[in-house]
Amino acid sequence: MKDAFLLVYRNIKERKTRSILTMLGIVVGIAAVIAIMSISYGMQESITEQLSEMADIIMVTPGSVELGSFGDFGSLNERDLKDVERIQGVKEAAAMIGEIEEVEYRGEMFMMQIIGIDPRDMDAVFGETVKLEEDSGSETGASGRELRENDHKVCEIGYSIARDYFDDEIGVNDRLTINGSKFRVVGVLEKQGGFRSGVDSQIYVTKRDAVNILDTADISTIFVRVRDIGEAEEIAAEIEERIDDNHKLDDFTSAMAMGGAIEDLESIFGILQVFLLAIASISLIVASLGIMNTTLMSVMERTHEIGVMKAIGAKNRNILFLFLMEAGLVSVVGGVLGCIVGIVAAKAISFGIVAIFGVEIAAIVRPEVLLGGIAVAVLVGILSGLYPARKASKMSPVEAVRYE
Amino acid sequence: MIRTENLTKVYRMGEVEVQALRDVNLEIQDGEFIAIIGPSGSGKSTLLNMIGCLDKPTSGAVLIDDINTGKLSENELAEIRREKIGFIFQQFNLIHTLNALENVALPIFFAGVRREKRLKRAEEQLVKVGLEDRIYHKPSEMSGGEQQRVAIARALSNDPEIVIGDEPTGNVDTEAGNAIMDILEGLNREGRTIIVVTHDADIAARAGRTKRMRDGKVLD
Repeated sequence: MKDAFLLVYRNIKERKTRSILTMLGIVVGIAAVIAIMSISYGMQESITEQLSEMADIIMVTPGSVELGSFGDFGSLNERDLKDVERIQGVKEAAAMIGEIEEVEYRGEMFMMQIIGIDPRDMDAVFGETVKLEEDSGSETGASGRELRENDHKVCEIGYSIARDYFDDEIGVNDRLTINGSKFRVVGVLEKQGGFRSGVDSQIYVTKRDAVNILDTADISTIFVRVRDIGEAEEIAAEIEERIDDNHKLDDFTSAMAMGGAIEDLESIFGILQVFLLAIASISLIVASLGIMNTTLMSVMERTHEIGVMKAIGAKNRNILFLFLMEAGLVSVVGGVLGCIVGIVAAKAISFGIVAIFGVEIAAIVRPEVLLGGIAVAVLVGILSGLYPARKASKMSPVEAVRYE
Repeated sequence: MIRTENLTKVYRMGEVEVQALRDVNLEIQDGEFIAIIGPSGSGKSTLLNMIGCLDKPTSGAVLIDDINTGKLSENELAEIRREKIGFIFQQFNLIHTLNALENVALPIFFAGVRREKRLKRAEEQLVKVGLEDRIYHKPSEMSGGEQQRVAIARALSNDPEIVIGDEPTGNVDTEAGNAIMDILEGLNREGRTIIVVTHDADIAARAGRTKRMRDGKVLD
């Protein structure tokens, strides 16, 4: 085995440039597969991680989901909220009043989404995930405080509103004008990004203030958290039924269980992954042709040598083995290098995504993917080496020896 | 014993049929040293290829120890070539990427012998042909005579009964040629059958028996 390896290794070394080029084909193919797999695992994880915090949420909005939720589909009211709260399995239900309004700060004006919510419902909506921004300077370690039940004309603002929209940064105790009324900022929320990037450009006020300045008590969204995620779909159906009854309309409202959305998203992701892999496999097919070509040339060039080996007693399978090993060795080395390049590429892509889009997507390199990559490389090598190697093994010794 | 019965070989060169061997009947006893001489194209090499199990007859038969080689499979022929026959070529035909030791070890490798045993046996053969100081040399680093001695060591590596040389001295100078013939004579004294094709009369004279060939026939 060691001598066979040596023999093969020296043959490969003798045609260094050609072997390296052939190997590059495999390297690129495997690296593409590894990088795609690692990045898509990272995406999948970041999506499911963000979404799984919302798995127990049902979002109730007027209008059907297909048509979008913030159109003129009417609105929900207090009675709907009470009914939803009474449904068995519902842990909490929080009503939100949402309008787009003019917001002015130091002479600049933007249209912003104002959300009115009961302070005690904030947790139901945000859970553990949305916190105040950290501020090591303040006593509590956070930037300001959360809304309280008795607050009047104060607001909590999203990260982008504090930092990005206005020329001047907005901090705690600064004053904004919302629809003509002065509001004091009591807290700045942590940057969210990703699926919750909406929060970054929203302003939260108490429900009471919202009713006053927005001049409406209409509920735009009811957030529901259920006790058991398994029952979410049934509860969502029941919510729709109750509210439709209240308004005497079919399809007046839609209640979307986020858990179901996660599953949908995951299956879309699965399809995307297969599609990307299919593209990456094309490069593997090209690489396989490269190996076949190189091995064929190697067989042709060494016809004489094959004849000599046969003359001194090599069986067909000895010759077959040597050439398969040659193809296999090139592809194994290519596969290993491909894994390394793939990991580096995945890390670079992940870094690029963070830098450009600000979304944290880790490159998740799974050992089984690496092993799979090397296994595919070996398989490609052996399959593409098979035809040339068989050709070599079937040569007639006399003719091969005579060949110069 | 090697025996050919009405051995005939016809090659096809495109449209033309070439009769390389015509009804050759030849008997070579165990332990004989026979030289086959004749002009080029007379069929000497073809006859050697037939006896050496490198090629199959068109008709007739080659019998080695009463086994009709024409009836054997490719694998069985390879085994005979490996175990019973040692082949020496005019062009030496060493594998140029391997050193002397590895070249000699190659037939033993094909026989599936373990590495240490294989290298030991290969080294013994190199010592036997007087190349103990060339063991790790590549073919390109050796003279023609030395390369041919490596090739002889390779032919001997599986201890064959028959050694076949196709113009073994054809590519070396007289001195080296004599050294090669000395080695072949020594092998013959060990009891091996030696069959050599040559057109050098001095070389042929050292054989126990000489056969002349012309136009694919063995002359009496």
